[in-house]
Amino acid sequence: MTSGPASTAAPAGPGAAPGFVTSPAPGPANAADGLPCAVLWSLSAHARRLLTLAAAGLVLAVVTGRPEFAGVAAPAVLLLAAWPARRPGRVTVAARVTAQQLVEGEQAAIVVRLSGHGDLAVQATITAAEAFESGPGTEQGAGGSAALRVPFRVRQWGVRRVGRLDIVLRDRFRLWEGRLGLTLPRVECHPRPAELRGRIVLSRLPSRLGEHPSRAAGEGIEFAGVRQFVPGDRQRRINWPATTRTGSVQLNTFTAERTQNIVVLADATASVGEKGATSLDLAFRAAAGTIGCYLAAGDRVGLIVYADRLSWIGPGLGRRHFHRLMDLLLGSQPGWELSAALTRLPKAALPPGALILVFSPLLHPRLVEALRDLRERGFSVLVVDVLTAVPAARSRDRVAGLARRVWRLEQQAIRFSLTELGIPVVHWDGQQSLDEPLAPYTRRVMLAGRT
Amino acid sequence: MTGRAARRAGPPGSQGRPPGIWRSPAAARLRDTAAAGLLAALIIAWAAVPAAGARPGTRITIIIAVISAIASLGRLATADAQVGGHAFDTLPVRAAAQAIMATKFLPWSEILIVAVLVLEALHQHGAWHAGVLGVAVLAYLFAVHLGESGTRLRALAPQLPVLAAGLGVLVLAVAAAVLPQLTGGPGELLRVLAVTAAVVAAALALPVTRR
Repeated sequence: MTSGPASTAAPAGPGAAPGFVTSPAPGPANAADGLPCAVLWSLSAHARRLLTLAAAGLVLAVVTGRPEFAGVAAPAVLLLAAWPARRPGRVTVAARVTAQQLVEGEQAAIVVRLSGHGDLAVQATITAAEAFESGPGTEQGAGGSAALRVPFRVRQWGVRRVGRLDIVLRDRFRLWEGRLGLTLPRVECHPRPAELRGRIVLSRLPSRLGEHPSRAAGEGIEFAGVRQFVPGDRQRRINWPATTRTGSVQLNTFTAERTQNIVVLADATASVGEKGATSLDLAFRAAAGTIGCYLAAGDRVGLIVYADRLSWIGPGLGRRHFHRLMDLLLGSQPGWELSAALTRLPKAALPPGALILVFSPLLHPRLVEALRDLRERGFSVLVVDVLTAVPAARSRDRVAGLARRVWRLEQQAIRFSLTELGIPVVHWDGQQSLDEPLAPYTRRVMLAGRT
Repeated sequence: MTGRAARRAGPPGSQGRPPGIWRSPAAARLRDTAAAGLLAALIIAWAAVPAAGARPGTRITIIIAVISAIASLGRLATADAQVGGHAFDTLPVRAAAQAIMATKFLPWSEILIVAVLVLEALHQHGAWHAGVLGVAVLAYLFAVHLGESGTRLRALAPQLPVLAAGLGVLVLAVAAAVLPQLTGGPGELLRVLAVTAAVVAAALALPVTRR
């Protein structure tokens, strides 16, 4: 019972799971529940070779009159004669991705459940897209259904389709191959967050309840000092040893605990450097690490992506906000054309008194102008330089070498001018923890408005 | 969630160049290609030697066999290779991509099989010689198949009875060929037809016995 090849391709049915597209005509079912897929059968390359051997042997036997050539053809003829009868025209495929959201380097898998294929051997492979790496599929089949798990790993952040899942059905003699394919859905891959444990805390914090002890006295838990009791004070805070010593009622005072506003500015205007560790990769990884670190501390974090289109989200709190910020990072289109005219960042994205952490290779002059403007507006700005590449030049090319030196001097001048303006610039190469370059600023309180 | 997992994955120093998490199939591919290469060299040498004193056309057949063997091995070795395809590829990369494309242009293994059988026919060896060649060609075919499909040797287990039967018929055919020859043309043709009929009969009978 052979079936004819299915040559029509159709989009997924109305109830299909998002992202999964089958190349042969699928039914109306959901891909996660099972999608009937047509199988395209063809002679395997092995069968074609056996056929060639059989035909060549028999023809030579007759032409040359040497019976041993018919004997040479015998094993191939016998193997071809033993073709299995059953080749199903349709099988039911249920596929799902184990994780829709990943971080660079994380592993997930496509789990495929196949039924209706009988005793045919099943092989599933992922033809991975550029930013993915796929592993060998493992079968855990039993009886009439097979469950296959094909692992894959993401190498680069972004929102991309994993690739294509190819399923091959083979008979026991491996003479026929039935093929069907699924276009795998998009997965969201976050940049791998840079390691950051220490936090920069400004000396002047907005009057919102948070976790950072501020200079002002308040209702926190960190001891600030002792003062004389005045009517209206809470009696439970009386410091009895001090009261006994001084003869007048003394009261413990505590620091107020405040939150702070952080605005992360990720520069996506340039992506230079080695593939996988470009300035854009480092900027986004550092931004992701910083966002996660400050949100974990209960701070309010906002994000500005300085790219071809300036996009921002104001400071906020919580897990949902973290995902909003990640979505903004992933959705940004790197480039510089439209933002070339922008030297002033929007006021809505910059709450007063916010600490602005900039991750940039400092290659775009307009961004440098924008940083100067921020400083003039009184913001505390700290720049993390993520440039790790220098222009390539041949060793014997004197002009190129000279141009490289000029370029280096220009870069040094930019960094020097920012430092002179009171914007500290630290360098992060992507290799070490982000704590190391930021250590001078995380060990003590950073003066707001001044550095 | 993800941040913790990422920290577990290591410092961001290795960004962009994560170590391979799965064993590279390159070693298995190399092993399969080496096995197929050895068998291809064996069958060409077996069918071609001695080159001197053979019939006309031997040399060109040897050349065809060698070229097709090299191309089929190249195809096997580069089955998973993705070379080039970008707009600004260098000249060597583009040349490599063209070479890989060339190996996929023709069915080189089939050409090799036909070439070695023709080579064998051009020589006046004994019947046992062709029998050994038949076994070696079969081994080559299975080596190429295992290399192409990435399957293990045990995947061939269901075929073993049929293969054994086929080799049995091959032995019978060779034995029939080495029997004292009948005189005259009609007798020789009769013998060839008898062996061919035996092969076909075995092929027809086999599926019945299998079920």
